[in-house]
Amino acid sequence: MLELIPFVVVLAFLFETMDSSAGMGFGTGLTPLLLLIGYEPLQIVPILLISEAITGFTSGFFHHEFENVQFTFKKKNKETRIMLMIAGIGCVAILISVFITYFAIKIDKNTIKTYVAILVLVMGFIGMLNLKAKDRSYKPKVLTAFSALAGFNKGIGAGGYGPVVMMGQIFSGIYEKTATAIVSLSEGIVSVVGFGSFLIVPLLMGQENSIDFVLLPSIFTGGFIAALISPYMVRVIPNKIWRVVIPVYALSIGVYLLLKMYVL
Amino acid sequence: MENENVTIKNPLDEIGYKAKMLDSQMTITQRMKIKKQSIKKIIGALGFYLAMMLIFSAVI
Repeated sequence: MLELIPFVVVLAFLFETMDSSAGMGFGTGLTPLLLLIGYEPLQIVPILLISEAITGFTSGFFHHEFENVQFTFKKKNKETRIMLMIAGIGCVAILISVFITYFAIKIDKNTIKTYVAILVLVMGFIGMLNLKAKDRSYKPKVLTAFSALAGFNKGIGAGGYGPVVMMGQIFSGIYEKTATAIVSLSEGIVSVVGFGSFLIVPLLMGQENSIDFVLLPSIFTGGFIAALISPYMVRVIPNKIWRVVIPVYALSIGVYLLLKMYVL
Repeated sequence: MENENVTIKNPLDEIGYKAKMLDSQMTITQRMKIKKQSIKKIIGALGFYLAMMLIFSAVI
């Protein structure tokens, strides 16, 4: 019998709602909270990845259905190419991240996490300053640079991939609603690779797989409902509201990360 | 002959074209309406959710 933990269902629903509508926060926000409640990393990280894989594809599908984005895979349009580029960088990064974790390469996690928190905070702040900017033309080089930066952060295991890639898209002139849809689907692809590497790497290294699936039904339930609702919310709510919500949310994630490290 | 070199930009190749069109041409009330086709897809997604939960209950 599957056990649903109501509190975890609600948390997953809230964070996935924001992730699918503001492009960030599911992993960054939910992981520390679940750790704080007392769950172990192997009960959380692979489960968030498998859940995010399914909800990312679901959310991407419905963003396309509700016309927040137009993905065309036969003859790829710009939106699809951007999504694939972000996903590609993310996939390489997550493989490096798992490699670093399993080979126990020493990296000063606190310094890196502080750097990511400040980066997200500053990006949110600049996003707010740019609210009235008139130049919103597409800047592909800026987007490539931010995608690489987000990939680097994820690769060294510091998180903050969603906020950096999302704000990077906005700084590159991509329409907020479309940027959210692009991040949702690309995170789905990256999470498939992430979860796959959690299964394959221990096998390759002759270690036993110790993933605990106890949280899966609850996180999947909350996340899946949110992945259906959020694309519709993005469609209905005017873009000028998302233009404010996204940088404010990024800013609050940055503050939350800093508080978690130095105050809580 | 001059027109031969003119390339017509496909509007679907513009980033965010669909979303911008919806925002500029429809009111919130109009955007709230869901097509029958989309409702069928949502029901299909709920079926997928139930199938996944069945799989989880068998595997976990």
